[in-house]
Amino acid sequence: MQIDVNGKAFEVEVEPEMPLLWVLRDELGITGPKYGCGIAQCGACTVHVDGFVVRSCQLAVRDLGNRKVTTIEGLGSPEALHAVQAAWIEHQVAQCGYCQSGQIMQAASFLKTNPNPSDEQIDAVMSSNLCRCGTYPRIRSAVKAAAKKLQEG
Amino acid sequence: MINKLFEVSMTRSLPLVSLPFRALPIPLTSGRSSGSLGSLGFLILLVAVFSGTLTLSTSVTAAEDKVVINPPAEGSVSQQEGLQAWARIFEVASHPRCANCHTGESDRPMWSGPSYGKTRVHGMNVQAGTSRIGAETLLCGTCHTTKSEDWDNANATPHAAPRVAMNWALAPVEAHWFGQTSEQICAQLRNPETNGDRTMREIAEHLNHDLILHWAWAPGGGREPAPYSLQEHVNDILAWGVAGTPCPQD
Ligand code: FES
Ligand code: FES
Repeated sequence: MQIDVNGKAFEVEVEPEMPLLWVLRDELGITGPKYGCGIAQCGACTVHVDGFVVRSCQLAVRDLGNRKVTTIEGLGSPEALHAVQAAWIEHQVAQCGYCQSGQIMQAASFLKTNPNPSDEQIDAVMSSNLCRCGTYPRIRSAVKAAAKKLQEG
Repeated sequence: MINKLFEVSMTRSLPLVSLPFRALPIPLTSGRSSGSLGSLGFLILLVAVFSGTLTLSTSVTAAEDKVVINPPAEGSVSQQEGLQAWARIFEVASHPRCANCHTGESDRPMWSGPSYGKTRVHGMNVQAGTSRIGAETLLCGTCHTTKSEDWDNANATPHAAPRVAMNWALAPVEAHWFGQTSEQICAQLRNPETNGDRTMREIAEHLNHDLILHWAWAPGGGREPAPYSLQEHVNDILAWGVAGTPCPQD
């Protein structure tokens, strides 16, 4: 079957029930999305599907249809970082880093639907992505900074 | 974009389960939606009204399931039998498989029941918002992804987010069941102002959406199914309606 990831079409031969995360990592070598729990508890595997966040461990590739997948590799580029990626660097959010591609994908999608979030809304959304290093205060500052930057255009 | 999400989900007229399909970002992968079943039910009802055959039985199929909508004849169910049917309906409505997402004013779904031990609010700080689908913060569909209808074993893994062939959402505020008494739920369900302006037959037909057809009675992952069977539950609702929707407080 064919899937579209980061603007490229890939032909994959896999079990239709294989979770998208497995396809990305093991079949396509796209390892930005991480495996944390496999049961929708941690958010490490977060990607965008047609622009909305999805836990890729929960989406069977058969259920993807024609929708387009974006992973952190396709969010920005080293030359042109996405505003959320730039804010993450500026605020030095990451500690061990394992959860961070999920956090960034979550934040990028959230700011599209809620461009000017309150602290409470940021906490409500970002606490669904687990960070065992406890980077949440920096996540909050970075999301606020990215929101400001995106609004300024 | 978010306004659009709200617009559609808020303009619905108090459905028992809010299903703003077109508003949701993650479309159904199969062609069927409860929207089309809703119109089918309406059509059946119209035909029945015009032909004077309201007791005609109908069935709605989804995959290999068949739920028969066949109300007992008018006057054939006593009030006592109606109350017995209600007691069973209440067991279903208050069961965790149903009540956990019928949380009324609260936009926090619950985790409760034998598979959870202590009752608690849904993890991950989930807040479904006024949209009831988490549009303001995190869409229910982020984890409760939409699965193909013909994939039967999708929910076998314990503790994973259940998936069905429709979009996951909290029930509307009016349909508050979690922690409510039999009297309260009974009053809500028989009142057209709080039941989506439905007859009991329409309520029975409404139970043909995928969450109920394929999940509530077969939740998988070690979760306890709703009591009785879907067909028995449908029969009870129809019998309760024919008995005049008696409530324990009457
Ligand atoms: S690996 Fe997908 S949510 Fe944890
Ligand atoms: S930075 Fe280590 S888990 Fe989040």
